[in-house]
Amino acid sequence: MIEVFTLAFLMLVSVASVVAAYLAIRERDMVKAIVFSAIQSAMYALIFYVLMAPDIVLVYIPVSVGITPAVLLFVTKKTERYDGD
Amino acid sequence: MNLSLMTAYVVVISLYVNLGIALYGIFARPSLVKKLLAITILSDTANAFAVLVGYRWPKTGTPKPPVYTNSTFNNQTLHYYVTHAVDPLPQALVLTAIVIGLAVTIFIAFIIIQYYRLHGTVDVRKARR
Amino acid sequence: MKASEVFVLISIIVFIFSLAYITSLGGLGQLPPVNVRVLAQRYLELTWNPLKPFMSSSGYESVTAIVWDFRGLDTFFETAVFYGAIIAAIAIYRGVKITGKGKTIGMSPIARTITRLSIVLIPTVAASIALHGHLTPGGGFQAGSVATVVAVLIIMVFGRKAIIRKGLTKSRILLLRSLGLLGIGFTAVALLLAAIALGVNAYIFQNQPKPFAPLGFPKIYDGMILGGSLLLFNFFEFIAVTAGFTLVLLLLSLDEKDVRRVVVEK
Repeated sequence: MIEVFTLAFLMLVSVASVVAAYLAIRERDMVKAIVFSAIQSAMYALIFYVLMAPDIVLVYIPVSVGITPAVLLFVTKKTERYDGD
Repeated sequence: MNLSLMTAYVVVISLYVNLGIALYGIFARPSLVKKLLAITILSDTANAFAVLVGYRWPKTGTPKPPVYTNSTFNNQTLHYYVTHAVDPLPQALVLTAIVIGLAVTIFIAFIIIQYYRLHGTVDVRKARR
Repeated sequence: MKASEVFVLISIIVFIFSLAYITSLGGLGQLPPVNVRVLAQRYLELTWNPLKPFMSSSGYESVTAIVWDFRGLDTFFETAVFYGAIIAAIAIYRGVKITGKGKTIGMSPIARTITRLSIVLIPTVAASIALHGHLTPGGGFQAGSVATVVAVLIIMVFGRKAIIRKGLTKSRILLLRSLGLLGIGFTAVALLLAAIALGVNAYIFQNQPKPFAPLGFPKIYDGMILGGSLLLFNFFEFIAVTAGFTLVLLLLSLDEKDVRRVVVEK
């Protein structure tokens, strides 16, 4: 029963990561795109957790959900907010 | 088709789709910041692939993380550990790759800011003129 | 939709399908795999193995053992790449003065109070991740990334000047980072230096005693598993990663006006 739940959870999370990545690339407002990218990273962190990689979860959550969006937000603040015309 | 095989297909296919989405972002979106964001998605997907290759589903029992958790050592516990833990090597490589990837991302971010200071835009189509 | 976009889409789709075909032919193998490769089994077997003292590492955790013992030289040069990227980023900002003078801009009192609590808690968690890296999941890289979140929080909530007013100026953070790097380098050659003094043989990146190299870092002290050089490497990498990322984030949060005066118009 637990295995079925884990596998279904893994499927759900990987499909959600695809949706978040698509929205992150399509979104023209960079701030919203960064938030979608952080959601996609959180989904990947869950994938790593289910794939039995606790070390990578520990390094991936601060890096990809915390620091990378902060860096990209700084860059967006200093340059242009909208992508394209 | 059993559920574990189906899950494996769904995960692998979604990772491939993410790879395609990230490549589209790198090639087709005009903003350099969006390209940088797509590069981070691409590297994360490559790392997820590496971890997925090191995963295992043992015939009996469930997979274990690559941490030896028994405080007593004998041949039985060691054999259980070796036959149930997932591959630690891709995890070790991905671990350093993520931190170095962050350093390289920050470096590219500095270069993009400098580019904006000199050219006044981060749109590659406008910068060409 | 223009012709170039269609071309890009089609080429990406072709690329992804060919990649998927190649990996399904032999890259990924059977899914999900039942066994891991023989090399991985060797690593797992030798992580904590008192029966084979000359070949095993000294911690419970296979990932940390691979990162800093079995493939230590690999990680050493990856650390070098990491600092190369950070130094290159700092080089752009050469000559920019970072001062703590002036008014600080911050968020609301609620955010400030919560942050005051978490800037005590997060470094504690990071230190435990670093110092238990050879026993539980964790290590220097993980702890460094966790501790950098504190720098992000302080910069976002209290403003960049709060870090400098606490005494962490640019040169001091650079000093911390250099201390971490020196510690890693010294730990790598410590046994070699000791061996020269004692007149015996030793290797670079040696952790436990090997045949013809009798020296080794302490494995167990008073019933406590120390992990030999893994503990030292994790601790120094923790300091170095935290200081490096804090420095870069500090530079990234500078006012554009001040930077432009030095970087562009000089």
